[in-house]
Amino acid sequence: MAGLLKKTTGLTGLAVLPNPHKNLMVVYDKILRTLKKMPADTAYRRHTEVIIQERLGHVKAEPNIAKLEARIQGGQIEEVLLQAEKELSLARKFLQWKPWEPLVGDAPPNQWKWPIGRDM
Amino acid sequence: MAALRRLIGFVPGMVQCARQGAGLHRAAIAVPLMNGLLSRNLTTSAENKPTVRPVNPLVQKTLRDFGNYIGECLPKFVQKVQVTTGDELEVLIHPDGVLPVLTFLRDHTNAQFTNFIDVCGVDMPTRECRFEVVYNLLSLRYNSRIRVKTYTDELTPIDSCSDIYKGAIWFEREIWDMYGVFFSNHPDLRRILTDYGFEGHPFRKDFPLTGYIEMRYDDEVKRVVAEPVEFTQEFRKFEYSTPWEMFPAYNQKAQEAAEAAPEEKGEGEKK
Repeated sequence: MAGLLKKTTGLTGLAVLPNPHKNLMVVYDKILRTLKKMPADTAYRRHTEVIIQERLGHVKAEPNIAKLEARIQGGQIEEVLLQAEKELSLARKFLQWKPWEPLVGDAPPNQWKWPIGRDM
Repeated sequence: MAALRRLIGFVPGMVQCARQGAGLHRAAIAVPLMNGLLSRNLTTSAENKPTVRPVNPLVQKTLRDFGNYIGECLPKFVQKVQVTTGDELEVLIHPDGVLPVLTFLRDHTNAQFTNFIDVCGVDMPTRECRFEVVYNLLSLRYNSRIRVKTYTDELTPIDSCSDIYKGAIWFEREIWDMYGVFFSNHPDLRRILTDYGFEGHPFRKDFPLTGYIEMRYDDEVKRVVAEPVEFTQEFRKFEYSTPWEMFPAYNQKAQEAAEAAPEEKGEGEKK
């Protein structure tokens, strides 16, 4: 019922969701499936799986939206959905970029040295 | 890891609690002494370095942990992570990684640097890659700032981040105008600050202070004419270097200290 009472999120361009639990679970499921395509030992996959599983657990356990927002600590539930959608697009892009591979190239010598010494 | 926000958000509170806790403990022994002790301790510690901003070790540690977290997630692009000036997190990346790193910082749940502050250029002609491009981002969610640095030379283009942050379009035009760093895939890469028909990139260190062209109103032709700069006197060469150290000695020390911890991590990432 809280969703019916809430008129606005107070944020431009962000509409109130009638049924956020359903939307969130769909997106979280997609994220987890995308993460499964990455190598198992990548740090990004491990960390993101922990975050998403934790949030998914809260969504499954807590039907009340206000209490759910307090448990997730990510702002309003609409913002949490937005974060999840961004995470999904990021994970899909990462499948192409493969950022878990070794460093592409070292910086030239003294590139990051500051202040510049007299020897340069 | 809502831990980042929690730590940063509650740092002052925690320090406050710690102080009060110590104070209360003493209060049980001698109430009148306590206030004097506590305030004297505070003032003496403040007087030691009156002009230097105090560093909060908890904030510093949080930033360092978060920097290592970024390095761990993107080992392909992050060359080095450092905390400078006490509490400014800097991520030094390979120029190929501009898009992945900035997208990660914007979209990842633990980062959410959705607010684009600016991009700027730095020119250091003695370096092999003379230009640095510096991105400053702000995360409103976690009340935290980050600086991403990368490098390029006169000919190598850098990926434009205008697809990720729309606000970058004008800043990248400015860098193109002032330094001549080329941004590939930029929607509208024109000059932005200099005059019509201007030649050269005025913020480069090898661009003369006077410029190459001067304008004046010519009474005979009744219009403004542009001519090459002419001097009544030849350029004189001055000796600028001083026998004294221009950078304070602590600057170098602080830099080395800041690098110490993340560098160990950095070695691990490169494996």
